[in-house]
Amino acid sequence: MRLRSDFIIPFLAFLLCFGLLSGAHGADNKFNLKEGAKGKNCLNCHDSFEEMLKNPFIHTPLKNWDCTGCHNPHASRHGKFLDAEAGEICVSCHTDLFPEKAVSTHKVAIEGTCVKCHDPHAAKYKFNLINNGKTLCFECHKELGSKVAAAKYKHMPVEKGCVSCHDPHASAGGLTLLKENVPGLCLKCHDSSKLVFKKQHGGFPVEGARCTSCHDPHGSSQKGLLYDKVHVPFAKKQCKRCHDESSAAEPFKTKAEGYKLCLGCHSNMINENLAKSRLHWPMLDGVGCLNCHTAHASAQDGLLKKPMTEVCAQCHGDTVQWLQTVETKHSPVTEGSCTSCHSPHAANQVLMLNEPSVVEVCASCHDWQKHSTHPIGDDYKDPRNENLVVDCLSCHRSHGTPYGKMMHAPSQTEMCTTCHSAFRR
Amino acid sequence: MRTVVIHILIMALGLCLTKTAVCEQALIFQPVVSIYSDTDGKGLLHPEDVACTADSIFIADTGNNRLVHYGLEGNEVKFVAQIHFSQLQNPIRVQLTSKGEIWALSSKDRRIVRMTADGQFLGNFEMKSVPDQENIVPRSFRIDRDDKVYILDIHGNRVLVLSARGDFLRQIDLPKELTAFADFVVANSGTIYAVDSVAARIHTASKDAESFTPLAKSLKDRMNFPTYITTDNSGNLYVTDQNGGKIVLLGVDGSFRGQKAGKGWAEGLLNYPVGVCLNGNGLAFVADRNNNRVQIFR
Repeated sequence: MRLRSDFIIPFLAFLLCFGLLSGAHGADNKFNLKEGAKGKNCLNCHDSFEEMLKNPFIHTPLKNWDCTGCHNPHASRHGKFLDAEAGEICVSCHTDLFPEKAVSTHKVAIEGTCVKCHDPHAAKYKFNLINNGKTLCFECHKELGSKVAAAKYKHMPVEKGCVSCHDPHASAGGLTLLKENVPGLCLKCHDSSKLVFKKQHGGFPVEGARCTSCHDPHGSSQKGLLYDKVHVPFAKKQCKRCHDESSAAEPFKTKAEGYKLCLGCHSNMINENLAKSRLHWPMLDGVGCLNCHTAHASAQDGLLKKPMTEVCAQCHGDTVQWLQTVETKHSPVTEGSCTSCHSPHAANQVLMLNEPSVVEVCASCHDWQKHSTHPIGDDYKDPRNENLVVDCLSCHRSHGTPYGKMMHAPSQTEMCTTCHSAFRR
Repeated sequence: MRTVVIHILIMALGLCLTKTAVCEQALIFQPVVSIYSDTDGKGLLHPEDVACTADSIFIADTGNNRLVHYGLEGNEVKFVAQIHFSQLQNPIRVQLTSKGEIWALSSKDRRIVRMTADGQFLGNFEMKSVPDQENIVPRSFRIDRDDKVYILDIHGNRVLVLSARGDFLRQIDLPKELTAFADFVVANSGTIYAVDSVAARIHTASKDAESFTPLAKSLKDRMNFPTYITTDNSGNLYVTDQNGGKIVLLGVDGSFRGQKAGKGWAEGLLNYPVGVCLNGNGLAFVADRNNNRVQIFR
């Protein structure tokens, strides 16, 4: 009996292993595919791939001759015989591109248009990128590319590539795809404990401040990578004109609040505005000038905190939102030049207009006397309202409207008959 | 020479005089008449506020640096007088005390000016012992039934409460985040409602509160740029959406109850309106700023 069991158990084990192996082999080629059918044979027709395969970086599925990893050889509902939408296919293998709690994401990545940056088969550049480092980024971020190229003072990490600071897909660490928010990211290279750092910052404890409020991380024409427009006292390191000593208990506290801080130097401008009948109230609140301006350095003219439209939209977002919905837009508004018509500090006219009358404001750009035969001006009463005169805004809305020529009404007839009611049909 | 007296028919006025509460609820914002000018034919210019009683209207005729007094007599709006002196520069708010004085916020020099009932200059309202007094920037002010004076100080981001003699009583802090408070109102209950133009949100402080808290959520989807707020005897709120050209009605809890008027020139429509006064007799007076008129609704 013992002899029998010694024979049977190994025999059964052999049968089991053989069965499993043969089963596995069957599953691997259950369609009885020919050798190379998953990829290599594709080159029989797609012979241009021969050239592509000479690239130094080849996508792993292609390297493994697994074209069917992405493509369906027979039919597909998706372009290029893909097994699914392009982005979906990529993330089926590249599962770690997007952190679970991403703070910021790259639009092209989240939309699944990976091929805007990567070649899915092979490329000259690492990670199958279709171009090299920042050159690739600047294909879309053109304005930034021009700025970086023109900068007199370069920031070394930018020269090395955008990925020095940014994550190209998504970041759990910071806004605008930054690997970490400012100042943490900056302090990884710039050691705030060093004497030179302290000296450059006048001894102020800036390691907790937002570096990008003064410095342009992409390069600048100013020393120290300050933004191109620098406030004179700041450029001269006259910090004490506005702040207490750097060693004070609250070193960043300003010597006065609101517009009164700026009054010492800009008294003429401020007093001139305070004498006008209508004030832009933010100028007088506790924040004052700093509602719109920065005190140190800015990329914008007039030391504005942001481009003018964005500054104005901080409060007048409804106007900006309206513009996004209308068909015809007034060009100064779309160009971000609100001050073409409005005075940002104070005015003697309602709506903070630059000129005493609407007609004069418009006439600063439009030579209305030549192109308009309709009577306008103080001598012509508006038939709709005895206390109004006919002016440009009688027919046009200054920022834009859903209708042609920025008219208030959908058609010229409808517009005209708001006054010329006898002709209304 | 323009029309000396503007004749109007104010339907149901007699009923309203005797049944105030009923009329307030029945305020449907139907246009009754508009005031365009005084007896000399001088037109209103960008009026920004109206104070009213059962039989009087005081218009802050901002662009003309004056107040204009009209009387309500039966079914007529009758010009009484203009109030004009050098201390009154661009009046943007006008209020009445229980003693019949007229107070106005002169925005150009940011002072509150006091006048007798017939418009004689009494002096500026002087504040006493207010913390950080030298930096006060009054954006709006109100006088309650006990003649306590409330001032919205946008520099200090607070509402100051003072006695009629100017003695500092207390302050109520407004939120510190990016805000643009343009106006507030003191309800009969003593609760204060302040309107933030940028967030299109109402903040409230109960009678003895030390700070404001948001009342309901932002009304961004209902309003463009609210700049004025008032209340009726029932505590309902009327918020002027300046850029939207409309009056938005809110319940005591801040819930949206509807909107009236709309942007335009025609009677019943508004163009950058600001102040609203409810006279308790079923009439609402709206400073229709960019239409250079005050419209009366019932």
